Amino acid sequence: MLKKILQDRVYSLLVLLAAISAVASIVFPSTFPTFENFRQILLNLSIDTIVAVGMMILLISGAFDLSVGSVVAFAGCLTAYLMHFFGVPVPLAIMAGIAGAMVVGLVNGFLIAYQGINPMIQTLAMMGIVRGMALMVSGSGIQNLPYWFNTIGQSKLLGLQMPVWYMLLAVLMFTFLVNKTIVFRRFYYIGGNEKAADLSGIRVKKMKLWSFVISASLAGVAGILLSSRLGAALPTMGRGLELRVITAVILGGASLSGGFGKIPGALLGALFMGIISNIMVIARISGYWQEIILGIILIATLWLDKFLQKKYADLR
Amino acid sequence: MKHSTTMNWKSKAFVICFLVLSLTACELPPRNANKNTEVITSSRDTVITNEEYVMVTTAVTMPMYVNHDQAAFKKWGEKMGVKTSILGPADWDVPAQINTIEEVIGTHPTGLLINGTDPAIAQVINKAVAAGIPTVVYDSDIPNSNRHAFLGTDWYEIGKMQGEEMAKLLNGKGKVAYMGILGLTNMESGFQGLLDVFKRYPNIQVIGKYDDKANVEEAARISSDLIAANPDIAGICGFDSNSGPGIALAVREANKTGTIKITTVDWEPEHLQLVKDGAIQMLAGQKRELFTWYGAQFLYDMVHHTNKMANNDAKAGITSVPYIINTGLLKITKENVDEFVK
Amino acid sequence: MRTIELQGISKTFPGVKALQGIDMLIHPGEIHAVCGENGAGKSTMMNILAGNLQPDAGRISINDQIVSLQSPQEAFEHGISIVHQHLSLVESLSIAENIFANQQPTNRFGFIQYKLLRQKTKVLLDQLDIQLDPTTTLSELSYAEKQMVEIAKALSKNPELFILDEPTASISAKETKILFNILKNLKQKGVAILYISHRLDEIFQIADRISILKDGKPQGTFPVAEISKELLIQKMVGRTLEETSDQSHRTGEVLLDVKNLSGEKFTNISFTLHCGEIIGLAGLIGAGRTEIARAIFGVEVKKGGEIIFKNESIVFDHPEEAIERGVAYVPEDRKHLGLFMDMSIRDNIIAASLKNARDGNLFSSAKATNMASSSKQSLNIAATGVDQIVRNLSGGNQQKVVLGKWLLTNPDVLIIDEPTHGIDVGARHEIYKILSKLASQGKGIIVISSDMAELLRLCDNIIVLKEGSKAGTLSRQDATEQKIMSLAAN
Repeated sequence: MLKKILQDRVYSLLVLLAAISAVASIVFPSTFPTFENFRQILLNLSIDTIVAVGMMILLISGAFDLSVGSVVAFAGCLTAYLMHFFGVPVPLAIMAGIAGAMVVGLVNGFLIAYQGINPMIQTLAMMGIVRGMALMVSGSGIQNLPYWFNTIGQSKLLGLQMPVWYMLLAVLMFTFLVNKTIVFRRFYYIGGNEKAADLSGIRVKKMKLWSFVISASLAGVAGILLSSRLGAALPTMGRGLELRVITAVILGGASLSGGFGKIPGALLGALFMGIISNIMVIARISGYWQEIILGIILIATLWLDKFLQKKYADLR
Repeated sequence: MKHSTTMNWKSKAFVICFLVLSLTACELPPRNANKNTEVITSSRDTVITNEEYVMVTTAVTMPMYVNHDQAAFKKWGEKMGVKTSILGPADWDVPAQINTIEEVIGTHPTGLLINGTDPAIAQVINKAVAAGIPTVVYDSDIPNSNRHAFLGTDWYEIGKMQGEEMAKLLNGKGKVAYMGILGLTNMESGFQGLLDVFKRYPNIQVIGKYDDKANVEEAARISSDLIAANPDIAGICGFDSNSGPGIALAVREANKTGTIKITTVDWEPEHLQLVKDGAIQMLAGQKRELFTWYGAQFLYDMVHHTNKMANNDAKAGITSVPYIINTGLLKITKENVDEFVK
Repeated sequence: MRTIELQGISKTFPGVKALQGIDMLIHPGEIHAVCGENGAGKSTMMNILAGNLQPDAGRISINDQIVSLQSPQEAFEHGISIVHQHLSLVESLSIAENIFANQQPTNRFGFIQYKLLRQKTKVLLDQLDIQLDPTTTLSELSYAEKQMVEIAKALSKNPELFILDEPTASISAKETKILFNILKNLKQKGVAILYISHRLDEIFQIADRISILKDGKPQGTFPVAEISKELLIQKMVGRTLEETSDQSHRTGEVLLDVKNLSGEKFTNISFTLHCGEIIGLAGLIGAGRTEIARAIFGVEVKKGGEIIFKNESIVFDHPEEAIERGVAYVPEDRKHLGLFMDMSIRDNIIAASLKNARDGNLFSSAKATNMASSSKQSLNIAATGVDQIVRNLSGGNQQKVVLGKWLLTNPDVLIIDEPTHGIDVGARHEIYKILSKLASQGKGIIVISSDMAELLRLCDNIIVLKEGSKAGTLSRQDATEQKIMSLAAN
C-alpha cells in the first residue's frame, strides 16, 4: 500500500487532496465542506479537465500543445457565429465547431509529425493564429445564443450541472481507451522512446498526428461547452488555459519528457488546482497571491514527489 | 466471456437506471434566464454579522484597477470600518472571473461589487441576486442582468469625446487611425462613438482599426508602421491604458511630436506627463474611484436600509439605491493638466 | 609518475553490496585490466576512482598520500581521467568544444580562443588518426567516431591514471589498433592505465596484469603470463564455458534472397539466406552493414535491387509491414533504438507485438504479463519480475529483453546488429545458444558484428563488406580472423 502511494502519483495526489480538504473543512466549516461548494468546484474545473485529458495523451506521447486555449475560444466562437448569424441548426453548428478544432489539430499534427517542426514553436504560433480567427468570427463576443444550445451546458442532472457529467464521461472514456486499446497503448511507447517505437513497428508519425487531432478536438468540445454554459461565446475564453492545463497534467503525474501519466491523473491534477483556488477564494486571498501560491504549490508538489521517490528507493 | 450473462444484466440495469435518472433528474435551465424582470433584494432585516463586501474583477493586477478601483474600495472600507476583499484572476479571463463569483456566492458575502467585464456574466449576477446578495456592477453595464445598480462611464461617450476633440485638432480633415483591445464590448462601443463623430466630417479619412493587445510595445510597433506607411497621417486615437504611451513613443521616434495629434484614454502619471510634454493632446479620463466608492456605498445602504422607501424593500420588490449612475468623464488637456499631477 | 592504491574499498547500494573490500595496486607504466561479468562491480569501482561515487569504507592513496575524491573535478586534479562506456558528450556541440568542455583555452580577458581550440583539437585527433574536422558537430558522427572523440577528450587532460571502460565495444579493429598504440605510448611515458573490457582476447593482447572481480568481491590479481584464458573465465563466471564453433542448421530452402540491393551507403549487395542458416555481415565501422539491415527492414529507402522473401518480391515502407511479414531487426544501439528505458520489462517485451496482447478487441494486461513472463523465463532474464524497470537491468539482461521483444513477433528472419555489444561472457554465451536454437528451428538469422570470434562461432557464411560493397564471402570452413580482416581492410 505504502509502495503504491509513494510510486503512483494518482494515489499520492488522492491522499494529498484528502488531507487538504480535511484541513480546509476544519478551518472553514460553514463554507468549504458543502455540497454547494463542491458542485461549484467541479463545475469550474470541468472545462479545464476536458482539455487536460487531451493534453495528458499528448504528454504521454512526449509532446504538448500550447494552442488549446485558443482552440477553446475558436470552437466556441465559430459555433456561436454559425448559429447566431446564419441560423445554422444547433447540432450542425456544434459539429462545425468541433470540425474547426480538428482542422487546427490536423495542421499542428501534420507540421509537427511529418515536417518535423518543434511542437512548442508550432503550437505557440498556432495559439496566435487561432486566437486571431476567434476574434475575427466573434468580434466582441456573441450573446443570446439559442435556448437549446444553452441547455447543453446549463441543464442539471442529479444536482450537478452538465459540464461536470461530460467531464466525467471524457475521463472515463479515455481512461478506458488508454488502458484497454492497443492503439492508445502505443502513445506510451512513443513517449518512452520514439525511435525504438518506430523500429517496433509503431507508425509514430501517424500516431502523433492523431494525438494532436484528439487534443484539439477535446479542446473544441470544451470550448463549445464553455460557451453553452456562459450562454455566450467570448474571443477571450481560454486565455492562459494552456499553461493551467499543462500544470494540472504534470501535477497529475505526466512528465514533460513523455512516457508517463494516466488519464485520471489529469482529473486529479485539475481537482487539486480547483480546490486550492477555491480555498483561496473562500479565504479571500487576492489574485496577486493566487498565482504566487499556485506556482509554489506546483514546485512543492514536484519536489515532494522526487523526495518520496527517493524515500521509496531507500526503503527497498 | 464467462461473465457475459451477469455483465449483460448489470449493464442493462445500469442503462435503465441511468435513463430513469436522466428523465427524472434532468433539470433544464429557465427559458428566459436573461430577461427575468423580478427583482429580489436582500431580505436580511436581521442583525448583520461579519459584514464583508467583496469585489470581483478580472485582471486583478492591472495597475489602473489597482490604483483607482481597488484603492478607492479599500479606502471606503477603512472609512466605514467594514471588511473588504478583492478577488479575481490575475489575467484578463472572464470565465475565471465567473468561476470566482460562483464560488464567492457560496460563501454569502454581505455585498458583491462586480466589474462588468462582459455581457456573459449576466447569468452569474442573476444567481447572486437570486441568492439574496446585494449586487452592484461597475465600469460597464450588464444590461440583461438583474443587478441592483450600475455605476460607470458611457464608453460611447469616450469615443465621441475623442472624435470631437480630434476633429477640432485636425480642423476636420486628415488621416486617422485608432487602436485598443479588440473583442471587448465596451471598447467596441467606444470605437462606434468615434466613428459616428467622424461620419460627420467627410474630409476625415479613417485608415484602420488595430489591436494593440493592451501592450505598450505592440501599440508603438503598430504606430510606427502606420507612420511609415502613411507619412501624412494626422491623428491617432487610443482606447486602452497602454495605447497612449505606445503611440506617443512611436510619434516621438518619428520626430513628429505635436504634428501627429494623439487623443487617448486614462490619466495615469505617465499619461499626464505626456500631455505636459505636448505629445498627447487630450485624455478622456474616467472617474473610476467613484465607481467603487459609491458602488460600495450603495451596497452598504441597501444592507443597512439607509433610505427605506417601503416597509420592506425586498418584499416590495424594489431597491432604494440609484439604478444607473453615469459618473461622467474628465477631459484633460494642456490647459488643466497641472491640476491633476500629484 | 603515480602509484594508485585502493585499500579495502566497499560500497553498498540499497539492497546490493556492489563492492566488498577491494584492494588493488596500480603501478605507473602498467596496463592493468579489470575483468568481471556485468554487475561484478567494475563500473562502481571506476566511478569511485572518477569521483562520481564515494566509498562506504576503505581508502584511496596516490603515492602513499591518502586522497579523497569528492567530485569528478577533484579526481581530474589528481590526474585521473576516464573514458566512459556511455558517452558523456553533447550532441549539439562541435568535436573541439566537446573535447575541451569546461577547459577551453581562453585569452587574458577570459574569452574563448577558438583558433587555439581548433588547433589543439586537431593535434589530438591526428594522434588518434581520426580524419575529422574539429568543427564537425558531434551529431553527425557515427557511434564509433563518437567513441574515439570520447577517448580524445580523456586524453586531452594529460592523465596520470587513465581509465577506459569498454573502449572497444563499438569501434572496429582498425580503430582498436590505433587505440592500443596510444596506450602503449602512454605506458612508456609512465601513465598508469586501468582497462575494463569484456573482450578477453584484447586483454591478453595488451594488459600487464589482470584483476578479477565477481559479485563485488576480489578474485585475485595475476600477471598476464601466469593466467590462461580458461582460468580467467572460470574465475569470472565461477564455471567453465566451452568456446567452440556451433553446429550448422542450414537447410536448402531459400528464405530471403537479396539481389543487387543498393542504398545511400552501399551498392550491389546480393546474398541468399536459407532456413536455419546464420549469415554474418563483417566489415569495418561505416562499411554499410547496419544500413543494409535497415533497408531490408523498411527503415531506410532502397535505391535499387530486389528483395525476395518467401518467393515474393517485397518492399517494406515501414517496420510495421516487415514485422507483420515475419522480419525482425535488433538494432545495435540498445539504449537509443532498442529499449524503452523507463518502462517495465513487460512493456518492452510486448512492444512489437501489442496486437497479440489482447482479449477480444481489448488490450489485456494479464495476457501481456503472461507473454512477458514466459519470455523472461525462456530467455533466463535475471530480474525481480516483469514489472521491473529496464533501466535498472544489466547490459546482458537488457539485450535479452530486446531479443525477447523480437522473438515474440515470431519472425522467420532475424537480423541482429552487434548482439553482444557490451555484454559479459556469461550472458554472451546464453545469447549464442538462443541464436543457435532459433536456427535449429528453421529461422534465418543475419548477424552483424565487429567481434570476429563471434562471427566465426555462429555463422555458416560470413559476408565481408568494404566501403558499401561486398568484398567477399567466407564459408564456415574457410573463415579465419585473418581472412576476414584482409578482405575488410585492404
